[in-house]
Amino acid sequence: MSRAEGVIDVEAEAPVASWVLPVLAVVLTAGMLGYLQVASLDSIEQRVLVPDAILDATIQHINLVVASTLLVIVIAVPLGILLSRRRARWLGAPVLALANAGQAIPSIGVLVLLAILVGVGFSMAVVALVIYALLPVLRNTMVGLQQVDRSLIDAGRGMGMSARQVLTTIELPLAVPVMLAGIRVALILNVGVAALATYTNAGGLGTFIESGIVFNRMPILLTGSVLTIALALIVDWLAGLAENKLRPRGL
Amino acid sequence: MSDSFGSTALRLDSASPPNDVMIKLEGLRKRYPGQSTDSVRPLDMEIRRGEFVVFVGPSGCGKTTTLRMINRLVEPTSGQIWIDGRDVTHTDPDELRRHIGYVIQQVGLIPHLTISQNVGLVPKLLGWDKKRIEPRVDELLDLVGLDPAQYRRRYPKQLSGGQQQRVGVARALAADPPVMVMDEPFGAIDPITRERLQDEFLKLQQRIRKTIVFVTHDIDEALKLGDRIAIFGESSQLAQFATPLEILSHPADDYVRSFVGTGAAIRRLGLLRVGDLEGAGGGAGAGPALRVPPETTVYAALEQMLDAGAARLAVDGEPGAERSLSLQEMLAAAARGRQVPS
Amino acid sequence: MEFLEYVSRNAQQIIFLTTQHVQVVLLSVAVAAVIGVSLGIATERAPRLRRLLLAFTGTLLTVPSFALFGLLIPVLGLGLAPTVVALTVYAIFPILRNTVTGLETVDPAVVEAARGMGMNSWGRLRTIRLPLAWPVILNGIRVSTIMVVAIAAIAAAVRGPGLGELIFRGLARIGGANALNQALAGVVGVVLVALVLDLLFVLARRLTTPRGLRV
Repeated sequence: MSRAEGVIDVEAEAPVASWVLPVLAVVLTAGMLGYLQVASLDSIEQRVLVPDAILDATIQHINLVVASTLLVIVIAVPLGILLSRRRARWLGAPVLALANAGQAIPSIGVLVLLAILVGVGFSMAVVALVIYALLPVLRNTMVGLQQVDRSLIDAGRGMGMSARQVLTTIELPLAVPVMLAGIRVALILNVGVAALATYTNAGGLGTFIESGIVFNRMPILLTGSVLTIALALIVDWLAGLAENKLRPRGL
Repeated sequence: MSDSFGSTALRLDSASPPNDVMIKLEGLRKRYPGQSTDSVRPLDMEIRRGEFVVFVGPSGCGKTTTLRMINRLVEPTSGQIWIDGRDVTHTDPDELRRHIGYVIQQVGLIPHLTISQNVGLVPKLLGWDKKRIEPRVDELLDLVGLDPAQYRRRYPKQLSGGQQQRVGVARALAADPPVMVMDEPFGAIDPITRERLQDEFLKLQQRIRKTIVFVTHDIDEALKLGDRIAIFGESSQLAQFATPLEILSHPADDYVRSFVGTGAAIRRLGLLRVGDLEGAGGGAGAGPALRVPPETTVYAALEQMLDAGAARLAVDGEPGAERSLSLQEMLAAAARGRQVPS
Repeated sequence: MEFLEYVSRNAQQIIFLTTQHVQVVLLSVAVAAVIGVSLGIATERAPRLRRLLLAFTGTLLTVPSFALFGLLIPVLGLGLAPTVVALTVYAIFPILRNTVTGLETVDPAVVEAARGMGMNSWGRLRTIRLPLAWPVILNGIRVSTIMVVAIAAIAAAVRGPGLGELIFRGLARIGGANALNQALAGVVGVVLVALVLDLLFVLARRLTTPRGLRV
């Protein structure tokens, strides 16, 4: 979650060899499931750690992440584009400042406040995740557009491109890498915050972590933690692959 | 300066361009909001069809702003812009720019598009058929000295700075615009490549005869390239607008004199061709003679004479029209030297 | 008004939790700073190890904090210990990265000049490279601190110290009279702690940046 509440890097971090993350995730998951097979579980553990329940929680977790990330993209990217247009540019700086300051808000706070004010459940958790992950995507969309070399825009205008053509053929493709980095951060964030969604009855793998703490049962706790971490690693890996794939050639 | 003058005369051919006006600026003025003085003071200027005009001056003199007002990347505060007899001060700027080639110092090739896509941008904007764009792109790459087969599919980052600017020129020429505006196009290129690009560009201009407005802060580049040079003063007003020879022979004031710098008399020799030297009879004189073609500049001829230890110059010509000049005669003629036709 | 009333009535408890929050954050960041800066310096001659460390600590950042807390409980139990360890783990990467960047971006000409004067490598590090890299390193520490302040709010889930407790208590009393006030006090408290610490870093930067770099 981390990059999370921290400052979002515009540039990608030092890359791990791309196979490390998925291999690690698979090893963690297999190890965990193997352990559950051989460990002697007590009645509480047996009741909680049903394969179907694990699968359900995993799917719930993925649903939370996918739904909220898609919504974030749909909202933050157009908004970021709008805020970087010349007429709205004066709004850009205060919004960015606000977005940066917003990162000081703890994710659990957003989740809980929303639960108290509006309600609990899957869709409210999605709303909380969207609010929380909006900032990095919005910010990176704006930064990505701002960092496009002015002389390219000048050249485009000088050739007779309309403002819209400059946006679609020059600015947006060149902002894509930075925007993708923001979306990747949002994804990672969402995996983390979704783990907390168990506190507002939205399910997910966090359920096992919570139960593990409440019942003081390490196998339950570890199942939740390890699977959440494996999911985060896989999501990060897939996001990295997508980033490489979607980056325009020639850059 | 050396060699840069040697090739200057190459651009000249005998036919003078027609004398009609291609670009006319009338009282063109720019004042940015919130400023108390004009960035460009009211400016009147006429640029002929096929003429190569260079704006030169110190930074902040308004030369770039003036240039950018011609394709309306900067909107004038007042005044009018006429291109080819049409008032374009208030026409659709995007449409206007599609018919004016634009080359800038940073080149501005779009990094995620291939070379051929970059060159084909304006034709595409103009709605050309793909079948028409492709051969046009190849033709242009050829024209700027890049092998289409080799470069078509590359990305800008895979090219050197000089090659990138060749593509920049090709891109500006893509839709065959009658007018080109160029903002320090060779300013960021290393001196040796720059000189080569200048020479090639002059040759190219001889073939394509565009009306060119070219901004530079380098007076040597201006003298080398321009048919006429507009020297801007620091207070954003025109100090002199004349041919290179005129500027070297008769600087309008001390400002122009100091801007041109030292060695004006020597530099003039780079603008004169031996074939145009007046006087000088035909008879062979004493001493060894150096044989040169008539389009050689006086500067280059003198240099070669020094090298060869020759005291006389033999100018090639039609049989019977060869001439021979002594050093004395050359210098005397050069001092009177008239402007080479342009 | 209701909220302010709640705050003033529970001021003592809120102040106590805030102090706890700040303490646990500063403790973790201090440990992380020692680890991060030392690793950055120690790996100067081992660029491959350095890249590996950066990649590893960077990947740790993708580990969801709730899951990391969970993973630490079997080893460290509940409460302070897993909290400090988890926060430290997260805080290392920005500090390590900025230490590396800071040291790498010192003008080589300055270092070369020092070498020419006969300064040995320790002397160069101590009198030239570290002071010049310090603003960058400090910024890394700042980034870590702000990040960890927010993550620390989750520590209450594992009975850890700090303002997260107010948030979780509000959650537990959902529908109750003071649920919102309690949770809000926790959230606002965390944000204020972050803002104040951020300001302190601006101040620290002023005070500790070598004078010549500020003019």
